[in-house]
Amino acid sequence: MFNVRDDEPKYAFLAGNTGTDKNRYGDSIELVDGDHELAGESLRINDDAGIGDNPNRYKQHGFYFKADNCIACHACESACSEKNDLPPHISFRSVGYVEGGSYPDYHRLNISMACNHCDDPVCLKGCPTRAYTKFSEYGAVLQDPDICFGCGYCTWVCPYNAPQLDLVKGEVSKCNMCVDRLEVGLKPACVAACLAGALDFGIIETAPENSTQLEVQIPGFPTPDITHPNIRFEQTNSLPKEMRRTDSMPLRYEQDQQGRGAYVPKVAAGKSDKEWNLTKLRSREDPLVIFTLVTQAVIGAFMLFILAPFAGLSVVSASQPGWLTSAFLFTLLGLESLALFLSTMHLGKPHRFYRAFNNLRYSPVSREVAGVAVFFNCLLGYTLLTVFPGLFTWLLPSSFVSGFAAFCGWVGVVSGPVALYFMHSIYRIEARPYWNHWQVLTSFYGNTLALGGVLAGLFFGLGVTMMGIDSRLVIEFILGLMLMGVTMEAIGLFAHARDMVAGGGEGAASQYLQTTRFGKTYVLRNVGLALSVVILAGFAFMQAGIAVTLGAFLFVSAIITVTAVIGRALFYVLMIPTTMPGAFFWKNPGFEEHARETGLADMPQVGVVPDAH
Amino acid sequence: MLFGRGKKNPIKIADKGVVDWRYTTCGYCSTGCSMEIGLDKSGIPVATRGVGGADVNQGKLCTKGIFEHELFRTDGRGAQPLIRDRYYESFQECSWDTALDKTASEIQRIQDTWGRDSFAIVSTGQIMTEEFYTLGKLTRGVIGTNHYDGNTTLCMASAVSGYKRSFGSDGPPGCYDDFEHTECLMAIGSNLPEQHPIIFWRLHEALEKRKFPIIVVDPRVTMFAQMADIHLPVTPGTDVVLLNALAHVILDEGLEDRAYIDAHTSDAAAFEKLVEQYDPISSSRICGIDEDTIRHVARTYARAGSAMTIWTMGINQSTHGSDGVVGINNLNLITGNIGKPGGTSLSITGQCNAMGTREWSSCSGLPGYRKLESAEDRKQIADFWGIDEDFFPRERGMFQTDIFPAIESGQIKGMWLIATNPMTSMPNTPRIRKMLEKLEFLVVQDVYRDVETNEYSHVFLPAAVWAEKEGCFTNTERRVNLTRNVCEPYANSKPDLWIFNQLAKRFKRDRKPHFPNTAEEVFEELRALSKGRMLDYSGMTWDKIEQQRGIQWPCTDGDESGAARLYTDGQFQWDDGRARLIPLSFVDNNETPDEDYPFWMNSGRVVEHFHTRTKTGKIGNLNKFSPTPYMEMNPDAARELGVEHGSYARLTSRRGDAVVMVQLTHRVAPNMVFIPFHFHECVNRLSLGLLDPYSRQPAFKQCAVKIEMAVDQDAAAVTNVAARTY
Repeated sequence: MFNVRDDEPKYAFLAGNTGTDKNRYGDSIELVDGDHELAGESLRINDDAGIGDNPNRYKQHGFYFKADNCIACHACESACSEKNDLPPHISFRSVGYVEGGSYPDYHRLNISMACNHCDDPVCLKGCPTRAYTKFSEYGAVLQDPDICFGCGYCTWVCPYNAPQLDLVKGEVSKCNMCVDRLEVGLKPACVAACLAGALDFGIIETAPENSTQLEVQIPGFPTPDITHPNIRFEQTNSLPKEMRRTDSMPLRYEQDQQGRGAYVPKVAAGKSDKEWNLTKLRSREDPLVIFTLVTQAVIGAFMLFILAPFAGLSVVSASQPGWLTSAFLFTLLGLESLALFLSTMHLGKPHRFYRAFNNLRYSPVSREVAGVAVFFNCLLGYTLLTVFPGLFTWLLPSSFVSGFAAFCGWVGVVSGPVALYFMHSIYRIEARPYWNHWQVLTSFYGNTLALGGVLAGLFFGLGVTMMGIDSRLVIEFILGLMLMGVTMEAIGLFAHARDMVAGGGEGAASQYLQTTRFGKTYVLRNVGLALSVVILAGFAFMQAGIAVTLGAFLFVSAIITVTAVIGRALFYVLMIPTTMPGAFFWKNPGFEEHARETGLADMPQVGVVPDAH
Repeated sequence: MLFGRGKKNPIKIADKGVVDWRYTTCGYCSTGCSMEIGLDKSGIPVATRGVGGADVNQGKLCTKGIFEHELFRTDGRGAQPLIRDRYYESFQECSWDTALDKTASEIQRIQDTWGRDSFAIVSTGQIMTEEFYTLGKLTRGVIGTNHYDGNTTLCMASAVSGYKRSFGSDGPPGCYDDFEHTECLMAIGSNLPEQHPIIFWRLHEALEKRKFPIIVVDPRVTMFAQMADIHLPVTPGTDVVLLNALAHVILDEGLEDRAYIDAHTSDAAAFEKLVEQYDPISSSRICGIDEDTIRHVARTYARAGSAMTIWTMGINQSTHGSDGVVGINNLNLITGNIGKPGGTSLSITGQCNAMGTREWSSCSGLPGYRKLESAEDRKQIADFWGIDEDFFPRERGMFQTDIFPAIESGQIKGMWLIATNPMTSMPNTPRIRKMLEKLEFLVVQDVYRDVETNEYSHVFLPAAVWAEKEGCFTNTERRVNLTRNVCEPYANSKPDLWIFNQLAKRFKRDRKPHFPNTAEEVFEELRALSKGRMLDYSGMTWDKIEQQRGIQWPCTDGDESGAARLYTDGQFQWDDGRARLIPLSFVDNNETPDEDYPFWMNSGRVVEHFHTRTKTGKIGNLNKFSPTPYMEMNPDAARELGVEHGSYARLTSRRGDAVVMVQLTHRVAPNMVFIPFHFHECVNRLSLGLLDPYSRQPAFKQCAVKIEMAVDQDAAAVTNVAARTY
């Protein structure tokens, strides 16, 4: 048990009970009653079998933040880092700020934020490994780094940037509510350290002494609807109608016209120059750019391969084995193996990859991984059974072997698109408005057709022609599918851009960056896309010679591949989450990037982990 | 939704395995927080916590204190004494004997060649009181140079000077408990939440219990200014005008405490005659605060049953620093706000033991607030030390800020720097470099081998840091508090006390004082020398100090504890027992913005760093909050110049230039920029630092600069990284 000192100051002890039974979301504050199977258990903190004597052990607790009082002294962050022995680049609690007004009528509003131990913890649902638990004790949402494999998906879904991905250790860790202190009746370390009466903690829906408000909104804080966070605010001082951020996010917060309502995020437009910034397309998510695109291409090509004979395209068929089909299938297998390898190595702890299936019930990551795994095994099975039937026919009847190959083919055809659907679900995150759009689906399926067409076309258009077989029908069919694919992508992107701008907030800010910081790159991508649509559509109506058609196919394939890579890279680097505002250095993505580029990050005391990619 | 695995793993929470907690006093600022350092079973410091029952901090610590256990393991520590013939050669490691012999012989050579006063000693506010006293004994009683000062000239000299001029002696008369009693608090040039977060917490706690008006005078909209009831964004360098105007209104409207003035002050007539000139209307044109606000503040302050003023560098670091302190004292004297609960002039001090050096180091005089100018004081100390009283000079020598120019003019040939870093801390770095180059012999005694001034040294003496040693600090409210030894000194570094004692052995004098070996023995000398004086330590022992978590002086032998306040009886240290009301005329001698250099440059502290960052720049959990210097600049002004948020700007002044990252914010006025002072090769490449005529403290905060976008942003970034690399 945590040691309570003889001279422990009064302010460090938890206060008494609340008056209400239910929280504002309609849920019971008492999480379990005394007879419940989850009651009366030890938390086994560091294997200590003791059970705390806190009388409110089964009530939902939460932080209370009196924003007007916070002076950004960092004592809360530091007390947390000291207690949890955190390296400089990780913090469970961070203080950022928004500011408004003009000198001397200037207002800075500091916001200290850790985990909100939500009623509806999206981190817990999203985690594929089930590293998260929401405890009946204090309603704490705790994460176990020993289970985590470092995919970082919880850091994507959390609207508050609470889970911290440690790129050095390759695992996530987060605020543990100081449950060891709660067990003995002490407030968390950060609260006990607060030097301005800003941070408090207790049973949720209880205002501390000298406080009157129990708000769930404050400028810069995302909507509580996403997760039902257990944090309450007080902010009564008059603020300017517009609050700005100091970090590099092009966001500001504006109160509605009457100046009374909540602050909503808006784009903070600065320079409108269009830039290339091609090198900045690179990011930590590069492996995912490759993984998603390759997987989509492979699934598309495989589906085309299995389904084409039903469209009367007998040239594309396993019944014509030969070096071409073998090469095709092994290329798919090789590409997908590479993609899976990259995505696995993208994990902080790749050796724990098998834990990806632990949360099929809730996590789209688990489902995607399962879907891709099924597809990959079908591809593998189909390839081996088709290319090397002799490996099996000595043992099994050849009809069984070919039947099983067909089975693999069909299951692959079904599991591929299902996997892609779950892949798309991964990105439908409320805390990431730029991603949370149906365009992700049209993009993923669009690329499946377009890039799948590219792959298949190389073998069954170009390859077949070089073998002296007429491939006109095949290549026209493939060009048609590619046209469908790029059209889907284009329609999706058009709607996405329109909806992002109309929706305002973080999504519009991402779109703003797309049209400024990456403005020229964005134009290049759009021109590439438009060009592919035009060329492909042109060929749908034109009876060109086979040489011209193949030439056009190669040309369009090159454009499609380049635009797809640029587009997918933009998809990752442009994402602006709903997370809390940072400070000028700490939690400022702009400074982090600068520190990495200039070598400041090579000094560990700068608190920025150098680039790994 | 409660959800989890069926079978849960045990929860893991970091356990640092602390087996022993050692009592210390924080070694950063002068708030004087009691803290305990936790040692694990191998004796390694792994944790820090505030002492719950300590009066000062009641268990709280600021961000710097929270990570103080990491201090012992920071990079760049001096491991071995270093030696070289010329500053541009490489250092060679050497033994302590070699380093100390060389130091002693060079000091004696320079003194023999150029005279006793041609060797200067500049110390610090960072080492223990017992060490200060010993250094004073060595300097005044053995080495015998009169050009001996502390870096407190850069921070507290104006407060010292102002206290002496008004009250006849140094010594802050108030305490933190005054927050619990005051009915009005005015803070001038003090960003308490950033500079002294624990004192701010004490103020906040008082305000939670009982609301009283807070008036903040600061040209910048700090968090303190934001939370103030009244914020006066004063024109830089004009505090004296504001203070005179406040006094004018108080006297004009009959709000003064006439009985107190008559009973306890002298020279009231001359003072009243002068402030007559400072009517709110003409004053408002100089200090930038409108006349109504001046009247409103004057009335609020004077009508409060008790009122107090706190200040820090906004007052002290100014050409009128000493006058500013006197102005504050004047205000409190005419309103009867000295020596009563909630009524005081409380200077908030910067370094952990700035008070210790003021009291005991003999920098500006002799130990225990004794004066070189007093024959009686000289005799007392000479007798106590067992030396010839004629060995003492009859008036104090140069201040730090005069010692350096004396290198330029050839009066000073050699120097010993102890725990101070003028290459970063003094104004006009380009000039400081030229001076240091000229020295025949420079010895740097510091915890860190990479302290920037070491670039010019001939001998480097690696010192132990803070709780690797033991001894006392005195805080802002005169509380003497103890640091127990926590761990052994790093590598072959040594406690400063040991270094002083070893060096003392190397000087040949006919009569030499005794140098005790342990700090606790030295403390006995302080008790004996202070008995019956204002700063009476005679009632304290180390154990009693630890037991009470610090004791305020005076604490006379037999007293249970110390005294919270000075001058409670209205008796001051001037011979007539009265405080002086001093007329302060104002001449604006600052370098003010003009067409060529159109911006005020202001500087100050940030909470995560301490002084020249030798310590905090290496502790990641602090340094990460501002790993490089930055400049707060008003967005409206920046737009006109095309200066962008997050980019690098080049600043030029009449001294030099600096490259700094831009942070656009309306916290500063359109004609002003603010840059934290902690960073090497930054703000002090630009600063002028005109000297206060009384305290010789530099005006760091008022000079003029020009701003432009750095043309080559990449080159600017490279320059910046180079200056931050340890």
